[in-house]
Amino acid sequence: MILVVAEQRDGKLNRATLETVAAAQALAGADPIKAVVLGQSVGASAQELADAVSEVLLVEHATLAVYTPDAFAAAVQQVVASVKPAYVLFPHTYQTRDFAPVAALRINGTLMTDVTGINGTGAGATFSRPMFQGKLSAEVRHQGDGPRCVTIQIGAFRADAVKRGNAGPVTPVAVDIDASTIRQTPEAPFKEAKQAVDLGQAERILAVGRGIKSQENIAIAERLAKAMAAEIAASRPICDSGWLPMDRQIGSSGQTVAPKLYVALGISGAIQHLVGMKGARTIVAINKDADAPIFEVADYGIVGDLFEIVPALVSELEK
Amino acid sequence: MSETLEVDVLIVGGGPAGLSAALRLAQLQKAGGGEPLSIAVLEKARDAGAHSLSGAVLDPSALRELIPDCEAKGAPFAVPVHRDHVYLLTEKSKLPFPIVPPPLQNHGHVIVSLNALVKWLAEQVEKEGIDLFTGFPGREVLFDGSRVAGVRTGERGIARDGSKKSEFEPGVDIHARVTIFCDGVRGNLTKEIVQRLDLANDKEPEQYAIGLKELWEIPEGRIEPGTVTHTLGYPLLQDQFGGGFIYAMPQRRISLGFVVGLDYHDPLFDPHMAFNRFKQHPFVASLLKDGSLIRYGAKALPEGGWNTIPRTYMDGGLIAGDAGGFLNSMRLKGIHLAMRTGMLAAEAAFESIRAGDTSAASLKRYQDKIDAGPVRAELYPVRNVHQAFGYGLLAGLMFSGLTLATGGRWFENLHGKPGHKRMKMLAWYYGLDVPASRTSNATTVDRKLTFDKVTNVHYSGTSHDEDQPSHLLVQTEVCSSICGPEYGHPCVRFCPANVYEIVREAGKPPRLQINASNCVHCKTCDIMDPYQVITWVPPEGGGGPQYNGM
Repeated sequence: MILVVAEQRDGKLNRATLETVAAAQALAGADPIKAVVLGQSVGASAQELADAVSEVLLVEHATLAVYTPDAFAAAVQQVVASVKPAYVLFPHTYQTRDFAPVAALRINGTLMTDVTGINGTGAGATFSRPMFQGKLSAEVRHQGDGPRCVTIQIGAFRADAVKRGNAGPVTPVAVDIDASTIRQTPEAPFKEAKQAVDLGQAERILAVGRGIKSQENIAIAERLAKAMAAEIAASRPICDSGWLPMDRQIGSSGQTVAPKLYVALGISGAIQHLVGMKGARTIVAINKDADAPIFEVADYGIVGDLFEIVPALVSELEK
Repeated sequence: MSETLEVDVLIVGGGPAGLSAALRLAQLQKAGGGEPLSIAVLEKARDAGAHSLSGAVLDPSALRELIPDCEAKGAPFAVPVHRDHVYLLTEKSKLPFPIVPPPLQNHGHVIVSLNALVKWLAEQVEKEGIDLFTGFPGREVLFDGSRVAGVRTGERGIARDGSKKSEFEPGVDIHARVTIFCDGVRGNLTKEIVQRLDLANDKEPEQYAIGLKELWEIPEGRIEPGTVTHTLGYPLLQDQFGGGFIYAMPQRRISLGFVVGLDYHDPLFDPHMAFNRFKQHPFVASLLKDGSLIRYGAKALPEGGWNTIPRTYMDGGLIAGDAGGFLNSMRLKGIHLAMRTGMLAAEAAFESIRAGDTSAASLKRYQDKIDAGPVRAELYPVRNVHQAFGYGLLAGLMFSGLTLATGGRWFENLHGKPGHKRMKMLAWYYGLDVPASRTSNATTVDRKLTFDKVTNVHYSGTSHDEDQPSHLLVQTEVCSSICGPEYGHPCVRFCPANVYEIVREAGKPPRLQINASNCVHCKTCDIMDPYQVITWVPPEGGGGPQYNGM
């Protein structure tokens, strides 16, 4: 049996959780999959998963209302002790990175992080994980008899590939967590106002590179982004020059994204940029240099002057 | 107000020198007893060894002295050297030297990854209960009059515009009775004390080189592990100092690199392109064919030798390792000297603290120990060798041979000139025929055998928080007004990591863009810029390359 540890915020599951369910379905073969939702008043999140797994375990407790590593590790430990899964899958998020190591230790499990691929199903499966910043991919398997814990890298599986069927049961599971054993006192969560964009969630991204030439020309790209209902993003030089805010930067020193559609406008495709977007499903590159490395990863490429092509695209899209 | 921390000995820099100093202090403490000394080691890298880059063929003598059972304790020796080759490369072929010159005979030496060695040394230091503060750079020296009183660490959480971010942490003032500066080649703190205390006024100007290195995995059976190859000649000109190295390690790995003296004349020369050309030489290309690049890095080396070493002791302070220039450029080795000077600095600091006097007069015992032992015995005879190469490759080789024959008993010292002053202006070097290409030795980049700098930087694992002020302080007013016409912006070429970029926009003067987050901390810009207007200071702690396996 495979247990997926879902992650929700304010009662809403994140996309990484759905990707992890997709990974679980790839790994399961004929084995059943259960998901566990942790929190307080998060029944709606549990319902969201009911038709994708055979059973959703709903763990609600006052200590889980706000995330703390101690409470979440304790809850996972108790759930694992009662359902005894062969695999425990987590989305590879900041929250998982915070508490999964200690949870894995408590359940005497073996933790394999940052997994990007699964080969085979069930007990014989092996997993791919990147090494040397994605240059190498290692194929690894778990050792030991404890539960096999795996964290699934964002964008490695597709959220929309989750197979859904008849809704299974949502079963409340009681946990016993003593509030006095929680060593962290969380402050109210906050978001820095300027980091409002989460490009990781965007379905379409229009990214601008140095080919845009000047800050005034950003407006041309913004019109195309609006016409295709895409978030605007950029390669490093653009953000570095202050033409777009730094939180719109894609690549090794910015965000890693995996949208359905990625349009690279005047981006040459330095490896630092490619590692941040090569998980996109469809990549369209527009660049005047036919030898630019971006064309090596692009599904569709247009070699030409973006100042001619973009207005044409905009007028076509606006029709 | 900064937090403060009081220690007896502060060691700045967790490389071979600093960690050897720490370990030696722990040993002296154990042997001597008495009130235990408090010791702290600062290291700017996130993990020990992450910024450590070398060839490297290790002369294990100092290590065996420091840790006699080092092999039993798992010292990461990759493979002993079995065989040495030295070749003179021409454009298409290679000529073996009839005999391997004695300084390049590596029998008894071992090929190591300096990164692995430093990681392992850090483990030994931590086992002794010494605090290793990784991720904390020394930002400035604290003085009490002319006495070195300690070091202030770098702040964290400053935004690019200079404002404090939510995670701001001020630097910590660490006060010490003795501060041992082991901040490596062109260390920012050593540079500060040498200038402020005028420690180099009667010395020859320091000479540097830049070393570029790649780690490759190549197909089975190409070269026997333990084979050490050095090359001279192509792609360098007669008046350019430097050469290539190829060290064969187990598991199909090879460490290869190229060293170029930072005293070349041609302002349009690019050391990274010279490295690419070296890899394109049929001898090297055939070795690398169908292999893959694993890591890249670059680092400056102090090549000047004995006569360029600044005064190494002062009130409350000592200088050890590459920071002081302890490197034997004839043997191409410095790790063992870094370790040895670190150990001697520890002994001097320990004795001076026990004697209750850490003034320069008392700490001079460090220089006495250097003079009485193997460090001077090794460096003094070859003190003029690098300077002789200033007269060209042939002169350098002949001089080296003569030095070997006579044991360096030379009447006079040869004088050198700072490398950045040897670079010629475009008009002087090229006359009226300045090449239109901005790089005189450019070659093709196929991203299989040869790489552009940006791709190479990716393989250095370098990362910095983008939202911080540039750690390269550049007086940019000279860039388009003077430097462009006179030297054609050489920073763009001598930087091996594409930190410096000239952006040309229509209708505007060329503008210097500083991609500070690409910086691999090699220090070349601080050394080689012809106007000396670039100052390298440490970025926020933890930033920089990640030299796993290098």
